[in-house]
Amino acid sequence: MSAFALAWRNLVRQKRRSFLMIAVVTFGFAAFALAGGFIAQSFAGLKEGTIRSVGDLQVVDRRAVGKAEEATLEFGLPDAKRARAIAASDPDVADVLPRIDFVGLATTGAKSVPFLGVGVDPRPEASATLAPELIASGKYLSGDGGDGVILGTGLAAALNVKPGDRVTLMATTPDGSLNALDGVVEGLADVRIKELNDRYVAAGIGLVSRLLQSDETVSKLVVFLKPGADEGKVAARIGKALASGGYPVVVRRWRELASFYEQVKLLYIGIFGFVGAVLVVIVILSAAIVMTMAVTERTREIGTLRAIGTRPSGILRMFLAEGVVIALAGCVAGTVLALIIRAVLNASGIMLPPPPGATHGMPINVELYPLAYEAGLAAMLLTMTIASYFPARRASRVPIVDALTHV
Amino acid sequence: MTATSSAPLVEASGLSRSYRMGASVVPAVRGISLAIAPGEFVALKGPSGSGKTTLLNLLGLLDRPDEGVVRIEGRDGEALTEDERSDLRRDRFGFVFQTFNLIPVLTAEENVAYPMALAGVETEARRARARELLASVGLAEKCGVRPDLLSGGQRQRVAIARSLANGPSVVFADEPTANLDSHTAEEILDLMREINASRGVAFLFATHDALVVSRARRIVTLHDGAVASDRAA
Repeated sequence: MSAFALAWRNLVRQKRRSFLMIAVVTFGFAAFALAGGFIAQSFAGLKEGTIRSVGDLQVVDRRAVGKAEEATLEFGLPDAKRARAIAASDPDVADVLPRIDFVGLATTGAKSVPFLGVGVDPRPEASATLAPELIASGKYLSGDGGDGVILGTGLAAALNVKPGDRVTLMATTPDGSLNALDGVVEGLADVRIKELNDRYVAAGIGLVSRLLQSDETVSKLVVFLKPGADEGKVAARIGKALASGGYPVVVRRWRELASFYEQVKLLYIGIFGFVGAVLVVIVILSAAIVMTMAVTERTREIGTLRAIGTRPSGILRMFLAEGVVIALAGCVAGTVLALIIRAVLNASGIMLPPPPGATHGMPINVELYPLAYEAGLAAMLLTMTIASYFPARRASRVPIVDALTHV
Repeated sequence: MTATSSAPLVEASGLSRSYRMGASVVPAVRGISLAIAPGEFVALKGPSGSGKTTLLNLLGLLDRPDEGVVRIEGRDGEALTEDERSDLRRDRFGFVFQTFNLIPVLTAEENVAYPMALAGVETEARRARARELLASVGLAEKCGVRPDLLSGGQRQRVAIARSLANGPSVVFADEPTANLDSHTAEEILDLMREINASRGVAFLFATHDALVVSRARRIVTLHDGAVASDRAA
């Protein structure tokens, strides 16, 4: 009879205690699996939100990296249509969005407020990014944007304007002169970062180019890739193609642009790691207590086994096997429990608050994340082995004569 | 000491063993020398506290003496590692206890087969031998029954069958009839005598049961941890 078969029989003999221990492992494993799925969902949501904001890749002039512009579009990409066409010709590229970053003063005549502006191509911007979803009143830019502008709700409140009102945008052109244009407020965007919300302006690239007198020059190209594309390889290809087209550019990946993503990820891993560690400690302590009780109750049996020729290592193996069998049984039950809880949660429609950096909450959707189940199995096996080891070692070392006379 | 024609199976020289009870040290066995030859049927008798069980434990390598040596077929038992002592008990010794000490989760057959499994005997071979041994102790019909469904006498028969599993040279039995009624005790003793005669397995009993003593061929009497007498019955 194998150590595992004997372990199973002993567990069946001590039904109540075994059930208790398996229940602890079951809940521990289910918590691991569900938390893993939740973390995976959070990371996926955070990643998607980040990419829909900054793109998979951004193409900027090499001089723009690590330097601040002293004049508007000082490090811009000229002849943006051609550059955009070169980038869009890569088979893995889904969309290329030009953007112009600029600053200026928005005024209604009665009041002037500084702003941070972005010039966009509204149609691809609306389909590829979350911009339309930020609109709190009015509508997002349509067509080429015309004279329409989008204001952050904070900026609109400061200027006391609403959709349909006119607003004058003033900015410095690349040659240093001041220019102003009138725009019509198309919509108000609720940018969830307050400081940005109080300064946010978006307008069609045509309007912004006229304001800045910078025809065909943009600050950057934001590149969206097709699903499954290797961003590293595409970045290299685009960089090479643009370089051979006469553009001395740098292609940056989204992770380089969204430093908060890694910070938030580390924060989540830290939080869940701590909770996981507490979970493991609880399981270890519970299991160690139960295994110690089992060893104490079966001391006489241990003495008999030792007397008839079981080596100390055999006793150690027997109790370790019980720990492993408990872990395996608990993980099987935990898998079933996790799948049931996951189905219930996913059907519940509970809304989660937006993750840091995201604008919208989302319905809870705990992913089936196989790695979390594998990690849960490994954690429970390790935990039960550790928890069983010390009582098992004590059992293997108890003097035979003392064990045989144990009451 | 009774002279034997064969070389001793188990030989003790100057064995002493004390136990600490609170602040005091109680000597259980004091300087005992004793030899058990192959095929002997020996009773260790004496009042409670005379050192019978302690001596049995020392001779069976279940315990280590404070002083003295136990030799098993010439090998110094004290020089062996725990694993070597375990292997020696598994292969050369059998044990029968007053409280039967069967493994409760195993059937009668599995209990008998267990020492063979430890010795690496193939599954089918050990099952066949376990069934044969159970049949030889009159329990052919009880192979698949767990100990809690067996009577005291039946359990002791299973324990005897288990003690013979790996073909031992000697069986150590500590008060094997103490928990049995007189009729069953007599049956168990008859069985042991029959095994002793047919298989040549030596038996060493620790007992204060007059019935057991009356069946022994050699009687070693202990008193206060020392051998008071050693005579043929």
